[in-house]
Order: sequence, then C-alpha cells, then structure tokens
Amino acid sequence: MKHYEVEILDAKTRDKLCFLDKVEPNATIAEIKNLFTKSHPQWYPARQSLRLDPKGKSLKDEDVLQNLPVGTTATLYFRDLGAQISWVTVFLTEYAGPLLIYLLFYFRVPFIYGPKYDFTSSKHSVVHLACICHSFHYIKRLLETIFVHRFSHGTMPLRNIFKNCTYYWGFAAWMAYYINHPLYTPPTYGDEQVKLALIIFLFCQLGNFSIHIALRNLRPAGSKTRKIPYPTKNPFTWLFLLVSCPNYTYEVGSWIGFAIMTQCLPVALFSLVGFIQMTIWAKGKHRSYLKEFRDYPPLRSPIIPFLL
Amino acid sequence: MSRVFLTWAVTHSVKEVQNEDSVLLFVIAWTITEIIRYSFYTFSLLNHLPYLIKWARYTLFIVLYPMGVSGELLTIYAALPFVRQAGLYSISLPNKYNFSFDYYTFLILVMISYIPIFPQLYFHMLHQRRKVLSHTEEHKKSE
Repeated sequence: MKHYEVEILDAKTRDKLCFLDKVEPNATIAEIKNLFTKSHPQWYPARQSLRLDPKGKSLKDEDVLQNLPVGTTATLYFRDLGAQISWVTVFLTEYAGPLLIYLLFYFRVPFIYGPKYDFTSSKHSVVHLACICHSFHYIKRLLETIFVHRFSHGTMPLRNIFKNCTYYWGFAAWMAYYINHPLYTPPTYGDEQVKLALIIFLFCQLGNFSIHIALRNLRPAGSKTRKIPYPTKNPFTWLFLLVSCPNYTYEVGSWIGFAIMTQCLPVALFSLVGFIQMTIWAKGKHRSYLKEFRDYPPLRSPIIPFLL
Repeated sequence: MSRVFLTWAVTHSVKEVQNEDSVLLFVIAWTITEIIRYSFYTFSLLNHLPYLIKWARYTLFIVLYPMGVSGELLTIYAALPFVRQAGLYSISLPNKYNFSFDYYTFLILVMISYIPIFPQLYFHMLHQRRKVLSHTEEHKKSE
C-alpha cells in the first residue's frame, strides 16, 4: 500500500503551511484536518476549509483522500473560516434569552414600567395565556435543540451569535414590553379571537414538532445523510406533499396565531421578518433538494403551497 | 437615504423650520456635491474624465461634507420642539395595536447616530482621496 504525501498551502498567499508525509490513502479530510491542527494549534478543525482549488468549494470531512482527483502528492489549499462556535451553543443562547426576557416583563420587574406597577399582575387573562404560549414555544425550542435536531454542520462563525442574539432578544423585549404593559389593550373581538388564535398556535406548534421529528428520523444518529422527506402516518407531516420546508410553514403559522392572540403590532412585525428570513432559507433548501435529487416531487413549493 | 429623510421627514413635515439658515446650509452643500459627483460619473462613463472633476470630487468634500452635516443636524435640532408640541408621527399607549412610537426620541437617536457614522464615512473618503489622487500623479509622471 503506497502512502500519500499531502502539502497544505494558504489559499490566498500560496505559502506552504504544512507538509504531511506517510498519509494513509484511505485517510479522510477530517483526519487530515486533525494532523494539520498539530502543527498549527490555533486552527482547530472546525475553522479549517480545505480545497483542491484555491477558489473552489470546501472538501467535506467524509471525503477520502484516494477518491479525490489528486496524485500521490496531494496539494490542498487552506482557508481560515474564523473563530467558530457550535450550533448547539448558539441555539441554546439565542432561545434562552427570549424565555427569560419575556418573563422579566411579565412579572413587571422594577425599572421597566414605573414604580407603582412593580411586581403587579395584569388583569387581562389573555396576557397570562400569552406568557404561557411564548414560554412554551421557547422551552420547546430548547428541548428540540438538545434532544431532537441532528445538525449537519457542527459549527458556525462566532460573529453569528451576536447577530442572532440581538435579533431574538431584541424582538422578545420589544414584544414583551407591550403585551405586559399596564396600558395593554386586549383583542377587539375578545374571547372568540383569543380562542381562535390559540387553536392556530397549538395546531402549528404540533405541526412544527411533527416535522422536526420526521426530519430527525430521516437521518441516523451521528450521520450527515440527506434524504427526501416524505409524509408519514402523522397527518401533520402530510404538508410535505405540498411544501419542502413545512417546519417553516408551521412556524410562521404559530407566530401569526400569537399575533392574533395578542393583537400587538410588534408581534406582527416579528412574524413578518421571520417569514421573510424563513422564505429565503426555504428557497435555498428547495433548490438544494432539486439539485441533489432527480426524482424530487414537482408539486412541492418551498414554503407556501403553490405560492412561494 | 439621509437625503430623503432630511427633505421629507424633517424639512417638509415641520413647516416651521423651512426658513432656518441651516436648511440653506445643507441645500448648498448637497447641490454643489451632486453637480460634481454626477459630472464625475458621466465623464467616467464616457471615458473622458477631466482631472479637475476628479480632483473636485475627492477634495471639495473636505469642506462640503462637514457643511452638509452641520446643516442637517441644526435643522433636525430646530425641528425638535415643534415635533414634541404637535406629537408629529407619534402614537402613544393605550391603543388597539398595542404599539407606540415617539418621533421626538427617534430624531434624537438619529442625531446621535451621526457620531459613529460621520467619522467613518469622512475617513473613508480621505483614504479614497489618497489612493485615487496619488495614483493619477504617478500615472502622469510616467507619461
């Protein structure tokens, strides 16, 4: 069995950064990244992008050296992706924030509404219901992050956590401020409106959870496989017949439900911004599915049946 | 963007500031800047850019930019009491949308935002000036 030699050059400057000899032909890119870290400990594997071409696509961790179009002396180009942070850490931080922040406003902690309202409680039942729904939503997200989701990328750039937390925490505070305000006005159509909104919210929460479970079951533990999702016995998953990313569809639905329940403009704006972002993601995902799978069902739209 | 804001959301909306000298200040600054800037673009597209235009674009801003910013800030400042008095573009609680917006506070935040934004843009233009005008000198020397 012949060993390979691997030289790693900087993609921008073409400097020789590392030379590895006696590399096994069946070594994976992940293993090569580990070897590279030994000589450059500040570049841990998660922040390495190795490519065959300085301007080309990154090689995958699972790629095997002998299956790549290289000779027995392989030249790889390195790009630093910058400080990385794990998806799990980001999700937990960005979701724990809204959960706690909303409660600060709900309990009317001092310095928010004025001393005569400190630690008082709203007289409107919908305000208590809204707190339960909002808290349930973020507890669900935290639990899904820990127990349900299977991530294909371990990490993302560090600066994302500041951007993401500003978004989630900022909007949570803005919404919570008005819903829990002493001068809050309950919905115009009263209990009927709240009841309808609650049904929409719960339906969509269940739907969203069902999709997350279905997606999890597509992928064995520890793997990064991608398969076409199909409807299962669970009726909530039948939305897969019409849409590529029903989890996003249900998520928008939940927030619309919450907006109707609270009749609060900031909630509606948060739903709108979220909808725009999720549509961008859904279109990207839909395009990747179409590219990767020849037999992808043609009836499906990215996020809204037949429309978007 | 700030042009539209100053024109519509401040000067047009608050009639009482329309006779202020500060309005004259930013209008003059913007007018001269734009005449030079669009001449620069036009001549560049025609591949015949007189050095004078390039020089003017990358030099006059040194005075015009601070002049314009001063005019803008003074105008916003002058508008404040009238905004407060009339409750212009503002909505307060309680209301059925459970939303509030205070235009007066918003204007103050806009004025504060000039503090980080103006130096960044100004130094960027100075840096561009060094790059563009020294490049032309070298080009001329080599002719």
